[in-house]
Amino acid sequence: MFARAWAKAVSGTSYLPMTQAQLEALLHRLTVRLAGALVSEPFDLRAGHQVGAELVAAHIASAEGLGRTIEVIQLRLLRDLGLVTEDVEDRMPRLLATVATGYARALRDRTLDEQESIRRAAMMARAEAERALRDSEARFRHQATHDPLTDLPNRTLFTERLAAAIDSPGRGADRVGVCFLDLDRFKVVNDSLGHHVGDMLLVSVADRLRRALGEHLVARLGGDEFVILVERTAGTDDVVKVAEAALAAINEPALVDGHELTVSASIGIVERPVAGTTPIDLMRAADATLHWAKAAGGARWTLFDADRNRRELARYALSAAIPAALERGEFQLDYQPLTSLRDGRVLGVEALVRWRHPELGKLYPGSFIELAEETGLIVPLGSWVLAEACREAATWSSFGTAAPFVSVNLAVRQVHRPGLVREVRDVLERTGLPPERLQLEVTESTMMSAVEEPVRALRVLADMGMRIAIDDFGTGYCNLAYLRDLPVTELKVAGEFVAGLRAPADDPASRTDERILASLVSLAHALDLTVTAEGVETEGQADRLRTIGCDAAQGWHFGKPAPAARLLERLA
Amino acid sequence: MQRPDWAPETIDIERPSVARMYDYYLGGSHNFAADRAAARAMVDAVPEAPLMAQANRAFLRRAVQFLAESGIRQFLDIGSGIPTVGNVHEIAQRIAPESRVVYVDIDPVAVAHSREILSGNDRAAVLQQDLRHPERILAHPEVTRMLDFSQPVAVMIVAVLHFVPDDDRPDEMLRTLRGALAPGSYLVMSQASDDDRHDTGEREQAEAVYRRTDNPLFIRSRRELAALFDGFTLVDPGVVWVPQWRPETPESAEDAEKAVFMGGVGRLGG
Repeated sequence: MFARAWAKAVSGTSYLPMTQAQLEALLHRLTVRLAGALVSEPFDLRAGHQVGAELVAAHIASAEGLGRTIEVIQLRLLRDLGLVTEDVEDRMPRLLATVATGYARALRDRTLDEQESIRRAAMMARAEAERALRDSEARFRHQATHDPLTDLPNRTLFTERLAAAIDSPGRGADRVGVCFLDLDRFKVVNDSLGHHVGDMLLVSVADRLRRALGEHLVARLGGDEFVILVERTAGTDDVVKVAEAALAAINEPALVDGHELTVSASIGIVERPVAGTTPIDLMRAADATLHWAKAAGGARWTLFDADRNRRELARYALSAAIPAALERGEFQLDYQPLTSLRDGRVLGVEALVRWRHPELGKLYPGSFIELAEETGLIVPLGSWVLAEACREAATWSSFGTAAPFVSVNLAVRQVHRPGLVREVRDVLERTGLPPERLQLEVTESTMMSAVEEPVRALRVLADMGMRIAIDDFGTGYCNLAYLRDLPVTELKVAGEFVAGLRAPADDPASRTDERILASLVSLAHALDLTVTAEGVETEGQADRLRTIGCDAAQGWHFGKPAPAARLLERLA
Repeated sequence: MQRPDWAPETIDIERPSVARMYDYYLGGSHNFAADRAAARAMVDAVPEAPLMAQANRAFLRRAVQFLAESGIRQFLDIGSGIPTVGNVHEIAQRIAPESRVVYVDIDPVAVAHSREILSGNDRAAVLQQDLRHPERILAHPEVTRMLDFSQPVAVMIVAVLHFVPDDDRPDEMLRTLRGALAPGSYLVMSQASDDDRHDTGEREQAEAVYRRTDNPLFIRSRRELAALFDGFTLVDPGVVWVPQWRPETPESAEDAEKAVFMGGVGRLGG
């Protein structure tokens, strides 16, 4: 009866995790305890304390819960239980005080416990969040510094480590080495087996390098380029050992997607003191050295060579200077006479380009033409030579019919350009040089091209009246049969054959050369071509060439290359 | 700048948490000043708020009791909050000690607290995840370790759905969960509802209070909540004000609509 009233009073004061029946059973038990305390002798403070604490433990734990409990006990306990004691007026307030005390103590403890518990949880959650943040930062950092395909360090991490190896305080006396590695013919794998297999091969190579070179940093820079950092080296040998280990690891046959692939690699090695170098210098040197290893056929390591590098840099600088030199008019032409062996008349002159370099002085074609051909700068340079030679030759008309033709070299690239015919025609129109007084010299390989376009262009030019000469004849493929069908008017026989004629006539080797030349000349004549011998340096050579029937000659014996003005003086 | 996917959230106890506000309504002290301030503001707007929370908690207790007595031994409690009193594992394991319970909550503090409470209980686990990613919950190693989805599982989504707007497609979340459940499984849901309540402006005030938390409130009608039980057969008495769901005494179901929460229990057929 009382317990039920009590249960009704406290329900809703806080959440009670129990059924109504459980609540009533609990409160009934506490009611018995309270009743006992009112009648027991002596009065026991602890009973009230315990009841208060048990209420809190049962989650009847709120200010309202206490208030209603005190109210219901005061109002109904004695009446409902029919309790009568003499000192009840005295005992009831004391009992209520002990219940309230026990309740308040327990509630305070519970509140503090829960506060501690939730704060601990917040701290744990924060620690967890911070750990997760660190993990994700570490993951992000890993992603930013590693190659996703192979999981090797990437360029970013490599650059950091290289910079640290060079710039860190206290490492000024160290030496450092770099192996710049590139797979040989990797493109073939990609092209023939597909990028998927190519990627798997890269992963396999990365694994092998990682295994073989554990303590050294191996990074993938991209594509099939890898780089190995060798720190604190004692000398070149330390890095060479690493490079050899890397090559051996790469050479192991690998089973990739069912294909047994054996690959090789090329390595450029740079090893030097950290003092005085920079990461950029070092990597540039390693890159250049890797190209040397590739150019030498691959499957090898090559050591950086400062002298070679300097020469290549100088060559590069020279080629880079060609466009500006053209603009500033640093090029000029010398002319070398092509002299008739029959009557000693100067039939023509070959235009030879010179570069008046502001720092290096006068440069001959040998030091820059090959570069210009490699870089494609031969096209503007060749155009300039053609135009300048025609311009000067046009001024020699005062010699009338005796005026020599001018012979201009055309590079392969020039002949292969679609606009060649128009360019030559424009130059002739602009300068007024008659086509018969222009000879174009091309190499055998130009004519041997599988493409028909160059031959067609030369035929058009030949039909216009120009002379077409094959330069350095005899050094190339040397197929006389094809000459029959080509628009060629002259062969210029390479100096190598002519050189043999300097030896005494009874020297067997010399006689052989002479016989070769003789048959060359007769074949040429049979094809209605004239023959000019290059590199003629002596009277003896000239005599023997004349005897053979050679038409013309060029060389120091007949005149060195010289500016047009000087040459014209001689002709006059 | 948008927080990238890999960056975890930070813990800010200056910001009220709905889990700790709920604890406050239930009479607990697992809460911070900011939670209490927000909860008091809620009580100012809706004086019955604590009673609602208690009624909802009592619904959870009766539902788990019903499920345990129906033979369910596996529980997945999503949005479990701060484990104060009367947690699912306490109720279920009192009836069947072998019962297994996995708690899921989005609140990292609630999860940390649950972990502490559950330490030593090898049949209960907790993980931090969002109801809005049910596939991540289902794939979580703690879930696959603790629960056998070839056997019936009770999924509890109690007092949570009102934090999920329709735009987040709760129907799809429930479909994903349902797809993972064996026949005989159950779904228990309750959420704030305003069916049949006079418009006193309480709804607006309550929503305003919750806008201060990370979880704004989205109230649904009985019809909308019942529709979310799609695929399940509602057990008696269907979706009702929570005090009306299988009350222990007739009087405890009086003034049921004051509880604000509606709830129900559905069974997956077969």
